[in-house]
Amino acid sequence: MQFGGFGGFVTSALIAGAILWSFATTDVELSRLVSAGPRIADFLGRMFPPDPTVMAEIRKGSAETLRIAILGSLGAVILSIPLAILASETMVSPAVFRPIRTLLAFIRAIPLILVAMLMVGAVGLGPLPGIIAVAFHATGMLAKFYAEAIDGVSRAPIAALESAGAGPLVRLRYAIWPQMAPVVARDTIFRFELNLRESLILGIVGAGGIGFYIQTYVRSFQYDKAASVTMAVVAMVIAIEAINVALRRRFT
Amino acid sequence: MNIAIRINDLNFAHPGGSVPALERVSLTISTGESVALLGPSGAGKTTLLALLDGRLQGWRGRVSVLGAPLDPDQPPPRASRPDTGFVFQEFALVERSTVLRNVLNGRLGRMAPLRALLGSPTPHDLDIARTALTDCGIADLAERRVDSLSGGQRQRVAIARCLAQEPRLILADEPVSNLDPTRAGEVLALLTGAAQARGATALFSSHQPDLARRFAQRIIGMRDGRIAFDVPTSELNDDATAELYREVEPLPGLSLRAVS
Repeated sequence: MQFGGFGGFVTSALIAGAILWSFATTDVELSRLVSAGPRIADFLGRMFPPDPTVMAEIRKGSAETLRIAILGSLGAVILSIPLAILASETMVSPAVFRPIRTLLAFIRAIPLILVAMLMVGAVGLGPLPGIIAVAFHATGMLAKFYAEAIDGVSRAPIAALESAGAGPLVRLRYAIWPQMAPVVARDTIFRFELNLRESLILGIVGAGGIGFYIQTYVRSFQYDKAASVTMAVVAMVIAIEAINVALRRRFT
Repeated sequence: MNIAIRINDLNFAHPGGSVPALERVSLTISTGESVALLGPSGAGKTTLLALLDGRLQGWRGRVSVLGAPLDPDQPPPRASRPDTGFVFQEFALVERSTVLRNVLNGRLGRMAPLRALLGSPTPHDLDIARTALTDCGIADLAERRVDSLSGGQRQRVAIARCLAQEPRLILADEPVSNLDPTRAGEVLALLTGAAQARGATALFSSHQPDLARRFAQRIIGMRDGRIAFDVPTSELNDDATAELYREVEPLPGLSLRAVS
């Protein structure tokens, strides 16, 4: 991108305008931040030392988050298989794949936490709304990735199977699937990592998992316990990323 | 004598193409013949073969393959497609699957739809696949993945897949142009020999006159979408071949002024 000439001037002016507008219309009182210094210190102080007695809750919450991510991912994979076929440019006509792609874009546009809140309202508290929310939200991305994997394979073997008299689903199974399998494995692992990360906070809206304990401890001013849970979350995210990097290396 | 291919006044232009890819093509090929399509790139050989395989629509004229007329507007019924086998220039194999799986893929059109989808070949299907592998001299490669094979081996797999279809007509589009001369001779001998052993008709394209002479009983020369000549191999003369490969005259707008 280049910022030269009139276009560059307009762009700079717009960015400057947006920043000034944000400052001018938001109550950013730096004095309040300064005077809050001792309070912040007190808050951080109360987080230390982290309370190690909540190990049981951490274990229970992490296990539930893991279950939400696994079952949510499973649901997303199951939903994504037919939707990916219907969203593929090479399997169906534009009259089918265009509306399906638009639908997937809509699904992707709804933040997970919002879906989770709606699901809690619909089915009540606990891990079930979390699982449904993850499955729904992840399908928006996964079905798109799978469809792109279908469309990205070499066409020649598909034509060969068609010439041999194989129908569309048989061609998908024997000409397309073997070619797209590594891409699907990589995309699924990637989406599982995102699902696990995102479901860590689902408990905050009552949709199950370790987030529930963070919310409970913060609301009841038990910051030392909240600190322990936060550290556990950070450890989990790092572990997930390390596992994913190792797996991705295996599939590329 | 039975007729394998009958074409009357066939005309075809690729969608959006200004020049016709095939123009006033008429020919008849008898069952069991081994025929070579000879001609430079762009002569219409690939187009003619794909059309005979039922993969092109929108042509004009009358074409019948193995006794059934082709519909210019829609692909042939799936049930009839295994009867026509096709060997592709670029092999068109599933690279990440095994050799045996690729050869069994040739059986998919012959299997019941559900059996094909579930991928459970009958002992009969396996028998035919194994025989095709043996005939192509690659029985020992059955469990290897295609992406670990050489070009010559790959084309043998592609021919085995075609034979597994139990075709009555074998079409081959430049089947050896990606192979070195020794491999090319071996593969063409295999292709035409297997066709003959099965009583199948073989039509293959090539741009190498010597290969066409060695492996075909009859040679059809094509240039600019038309048939230039159609002769028994013994009557092919070098002048006709040279004429086929004569340099294309430059287009009027691009012509360079003669220096002399």
